[in-house]
Amino acid sequence: MMRNDPIKHVFIWPAVLVVLAISIFPLIYSFTTSFLSYRLIPPIPPRVVWFGNYTTLLQEPRFWNAILTTTLIAFIAVGLQYMIGFGVALALNARVPGERLFRVALLLPMLLAPVAVALVARMIFNPTMGPLNQFLSMFGLANLPFLTNGHWALGCIIAVEIWQWTPFVILMMLAGLQTLPEDVYEAAELENASAWQQFWGITFPMMLPISAAVVFIRLIESYKIMDTVFVMTGGGPGVDTETLTLFAYQEGFKKFNLGYTSALSFLFLIAITIIGVTYLALLRPHLEKRR
Amino acid sequence: MTERALTGLSSWSRRLVAVGVLAWCLITAFPLYWVVVTAFKTPPGVVGGPTYIPFVDFTPTLQPFIDLYQGIRGEFFRTFLNSTIVGLSAAAIATAIGAMAAYALVRFEFKVRFGAGLIFFLLALGFYLLFNNNFGVTRAQALLLAFPIALVVAIIANRLPLPGPILGNEDILFWFVSQRMFPPIVTAFALYLLYSEIGRLGFQLIDSYVGLTLCYVAFSLPIVVWLMRDFFEAIPIEVEEAAMVDNVPSWRIFLGIVVPMSMNGLLATFMITLAFVWNEFLFALFLTNSKWQTLPILVAGQNSQRGDEWWAISAAALVAIVPMMIMAGLLSRMMRSGLLLGAIK
Repeated sequence: MMRNDPIKHVFIWPAVLVVLAISIFPLIYSFTTSFLSYRLIPPIPPRVVWFGNYTTLLQEPRFWNAILTTTLIAFIAVGLQYMIGFGVALALNARVPGERLFRVALLLPMLLAPVAVALVARMIFNPTMGPLNQFLSMFGLANLPFLTNGHWALGCIIAVEIWQWTPFVILMMLAGLQTLPEDVYEAAELENASAWQQFWGITFPMMLPISAAVVFIRLIESYKIMDTVFVMTGGGPGVDTETLTLFAYQEGFKKFNLGYTSALSFLFLIAITIIGVTYLALLRPHLEKRR
Repeated sequence: MTERALTGLSSWSRRLVAVGVLAWCLITAFPLYWVVVTAFKTPPGVVGGPTYIPFVDFTPTLQPFIDLYQGIRGEFFRTFLNSTIVGLSAAAIATAIGAMAAYALVRFEFKVRFGAGLIFFLLALGFYLLFNNNFGVTRAQALLLAFPIALVVAIIANRLPLPGPILGNEDILFWFVSQRMFPPIVTAFALYLLYSEIGRLGFQLIDSYVGLTLCYVAFSLPIVVWLMRDFFEAIPIEVEEAAMVDNVPSWRIFLGIVVPMSMNGLLATFMITLAFVWNEFLFALFLTNSKWQTLPILVAGQNSQRGDEWWAISAAALVAIVPMMIMAGLLSRMMRSGLLLGAIK
């Protein structure tokens, strides 16, 4: 039942005003700035260049490199998070021994500051003083250049992302699993369906909507990755691990190239929107069919 | 469902699953153990290669924490205080006004004309360009002038029979939540420029309590509205209807009935928001430089400041982590009582 009472405006306006002010203001500001050639250092008066910033950016290899890096990190990390997270959630839901103990530790990683996690990761991945290389050398492997080789560094960042955000997937999937109706499984049991068949025939399709939501949230969040990379590699070696946000930070805050950075952040916004819309469009037929 | 999914498995594969979960548990726990242990090491205990067990491998010491407290590596105590003050107040304000908005979206009917929204955006943009180019005011002034004009015109326009779709509560909710999709760098950078322009008008926002808190409130609101809406929807409406029959005004129904009934939800939302603000890095990086620096910035800076002094880095990381560990304990207790699961669904 919906009421209609003028007091509703008192309830909703504070939140709307704050969000409007903090999101629309900057949006208009950076939208208009993105068509200007505008630097603070050295100070040049702003000049309208229309799409000049955008075309320069689209021809810039560093921009495409950042897009590729961010996409790699996001897709690989989220894919693995989903698989590990779903597996662990299934196991927890089936009450494996020691499940209670695990639940307490479940929430921890995702509540920790990414910068602190990245610092710890730096220590663990340290080639000479870190425990990981010592552990690997027990098996006769050579010291690996974890953070100084481009490919390894990317792998390490992905590993840290998985470590930190798999708990989120576990949490959401567990919540979803607990809402599944029991009688479907009882019927499957009567039909002598194997656990494997039960999973692909019942659990997976019924979990598809929540899976889609979880992957969507994680994908969008992963595209914003910045703090982990900032601390672990600073985008290096070279620009091998530079993500979009880091690239924008370097351009805007180190070089104070305002028009350029605004254009960059708008392209970023457009890219995120395209990815989000494509993802939803691809999934929609599946989601509706299952309902 | 209880022991359903695994009953089809043999005891052998059951054990395999348990081992897998245990392995993940160890992977989760090891880095945490490592940072706790390292924070109590002396310099020789670090440089001589990895050591693991206190009192056996190395002698623990409190020196890193004493150094921290004495501010040898930056104003740690003050930064900790900053993080606490900004975190608590932003989380409290966001939870309060977010809960109000969520309640309004659950219980009252809203109609916003799409045309009015469009008018707002176009007028804000148009007046901003007009003021900025023709009247010689600064960019910040132009924005501050354009915003209220556009808002007032849009509110009036909403009462007119404009063509185009009418947006309801679900759309307003979607608008709130979609704010979370924005890459924060878009806003962070523009906000930094805007804050510094307002600063030139004489009102300091960069590196100030007001500026940082305002920004965090705005960015926590989407999550708060989303979470609280689920909590409020779970409240049986009969109680409120009974109060309405007695002509109790809406704000008293909210404060006297709804808020006490959803106290747990409010608390959980408050804690999640606090964790978000406490860990936030990007906005703090842009909007603070010394006085109101928060913990993540200082912790991130430890790295470059003095190289591989791991005992100090670990102690710093631990200070940033421990409050959240306590929070995880509290939240997982709430989760066990099934409270949070309802919110996530």
